[in-house]
Amino acid sequence: MKMVLSQRQREELNKAIADYLCSNGYMEALEAFKAEADMPGEIERKYAGLLEKKWCSVIRLQKKVMELEVKLNEAEREYNAGAPTRDKRSPVEWIPRPPEKYCLTGHRAPVTRVIFHPMYAMMVSSSEDGTIKVWDYETGDYEKTLKGHTDSIQDIAFDHTGKFLVSCSADMSVKLWDFSSYECVKTMHGHDHNVSSVTFMPSGDYLLSSSRDKTIKMWEVATGYCVKTFSGHREWVRMVRVCSNGSLIASCSNDQTVRVWITATKECKAELREHDHVVECVAWCEGSTCATVNEALATDNRKPTYQGPFLISGSRDKTIKVWDVGVGLCLFTLVGHDNWVRGLLVHPGGKFLLSASDDKTIRVWDIKNKRCQKTLDAHSHFCTSLDMHRSAPFVITGSVDQTIKHMTGATQTPGAEERPSQARRCGATSYMSSSCPSPTGHFHPKSGFGEIWMLRGQVQGR
Amino acid sequence: MNPAAVPTPLEDVQGDGRWLSMHNRFVNQAREMEPDVVFVGDSLIANLQNTDLWEKWFAPMHTLNFGIGGDQTQHVLWRLRNGELECIKPKAVVVLVGTNNHEHTAAEVAGGIAEICNTIREKQPQAYVIVLTLLPRGEKPNRLREKNSQVNSLVKDALRTLDLCQVVSVDQDIIMTDGTIDHRDMYDYLHLTLQGYRRAFEPLYLLLSNLLQEDSALTNDASSTLPSPSDHPSNPGPSAD
Repeated sequence: MKMVLSQRQREELNKAIADYLCSNGYMEALEAFKAEADMPGEIERKYAGLLEKKWCSVIRLQKKVMELEVKLNEAEREYNAGAPTRDKRSPVEWIPRPPEKYCLTGHRAPVTRVIFHPMYAMMVSSSEDGTIKVWDYETGDYEKTLKGHTDSIQDIAFDHTGKFLVSCSADMSVKLWDFSSYECVKTMHGHDHNVSSVTFMPSGDYLLSSSRDKTIKMWEVATGYCVKTFSGHREWVRMVRVCSNGSLIASCSNDQTVRVWITATKECKAELREHDHVVECVAWCEGSTCATVNEALATDNRKPTYQGPFLISGSRDKTIKVWDVGVGLCLFTLVGHDNWVRGLLVHPGGKFLLSASDDKTIRVWDIKNKRCQKTLDAHSHFCTSLDMHRSAPFVITGSVDQTIKHMTGATQTPGAEERPSQARRCGATSYMSSSCPSPTGHFHPKSGFGEIWMLRGQVQGR
Repeated sequence: MNPAAVPTPLEDVQGDGRWLSMHNRFVNQAREMEPDVVFVGDSLIANLQNTDLWEKWFAPMHTLNFGIGGDQTQHVLWRLRNGELECIKPKAVVVLVGTNNHEHTAAEVAGGIAEICNTIREKQPQAYVIVLTLLPRGEKPNRLREKNSQVNSLVKDALRTLDLCQVVSVDQDIIMTDGTIDHRDMYDYLHLTLQGYRRAFEPLYLLLSNLLQEDSALTNDASSTLPSPSDHPSNPGPSAD
């Protein structure tokens, strides 16, 4: 490397060398140097010790640079990993980080819901433009548009096999789609108003829908008949979600309550009131999350054992509440969003909750410490929905800005290199085995295969 | 009979039915969305939604914009009485209309605005009615400017007794000290530029933020007096019912 000094720098260097020679008593060299460098006369005082100083500072600066580089590496690792620095983070603790891997555009109106396919590397979005779009989340490619609804689509859900997709719309219908042929195979009429939410029962034989007509209906998939109607809410029912064994159904409403229904008897088991505004979303907390909820409530001398089942709800009052349905109590409230909370999900690892809000952010909540761990500025307009892959560290979000974003992490992505669904299942069980089992036993499945189901219930059963 | 205060649909002179299409869209939006704030009025309201201010200030409040270019008070009145205030429960309704009522006197225009406010009060008893003063128009002082400021003082008088009703002056910063209007604020001396919108609508933005905040503070206060069960795990708080 050739360094070019300016005239001034050269003079300065020469004088510093002269001072060095002088102060160290190398008088002959000094005289010779002065003659050769054409530098007569005395050397000004300000050059005293300059060479030594520069010499030392180089070393000091080198040391400083190395220290900063180490710090930067740590910070980068922390940032990439998305949470406290640990040498190796387990997938249980993975949380999303910006920027997004893909920003998918194509919808012509606000995106209302985004969900992952339970098996394939696909995700599906619904929109107020009346269409459902299918995307390959690994490549970011648009695959297909499903058309049929004549008004805003409010919610979509897969059955556990991913063979069927169900959608509901402001056109008052519920549609069942065969996801291999992309054909609408059934249209279910019966609600008297906007259908706000749909979900499959865990068995896949039945599905549930909630509506602005204040009811929740259960439909038989095979026949398309309405077999049950749950009435009780006094206003628009916003969302309906079923627990992983199918015995309980949770719903939330503009009447500011969350209700829990017994599937078999249509009885309302609990009416949970504490939100001050419309309750937008609910999700079941199952599996290892139950232990974390109890940890959150533990104090130095007291280890509570709430039995659950546990439920979380998000509201326009900007809060998220964690409920024990068994005793009908709000256990704690998470405050932080600056606008309506619109989407909620429980992290498959059991330690975090994720929420989407009209404040345009996605937040990650540390359940144990009851605090917001991370805030991600996700969209340029309201965030309406989010979903997390059940075994890979992928999060997708939908927004009123009409885009869908796919966020991922720096940690390894098991889903990315192992395409077959079997690999996914392994990934899913590894989440479970690495975390504590449910202390309640309430929803604890018997078989290993059931664990996968439970996990899906958590992610998709937002 | 005050023609500015009689609900009248716009006559479809050109024949493309746009006015009615927009009205029908607004009625549908009112049915499907649940706005906390509704803006009604003419082009000065309609154009606001194409600004970044709309995205930054008003959209996050869950706002719908029911502005139609060229509308006069009697047209807005017709729209409000024919579906645009049904199925919603907004916390505030913002009104700006009247500068297009060329065939009406100041008193008539003020009567029209008052009638609009009465309609809102009747259909949405819980909502704040926020009336924006008419903006000045024309580069230099002229009789339309005088008429608009006359309307403004009449409206202020007329609405003094209406509950939860507030008149917000948005016309102050637009006229410069020499009495002219800068084209940087109003590019055609009638419609606002982005800069003009920022000048004129900032007081409204601050007022709306206050109103909405007060509203949520009131409800939150009520709940914060209850002990949270998480604070006393040994003695769970009352189950709210």
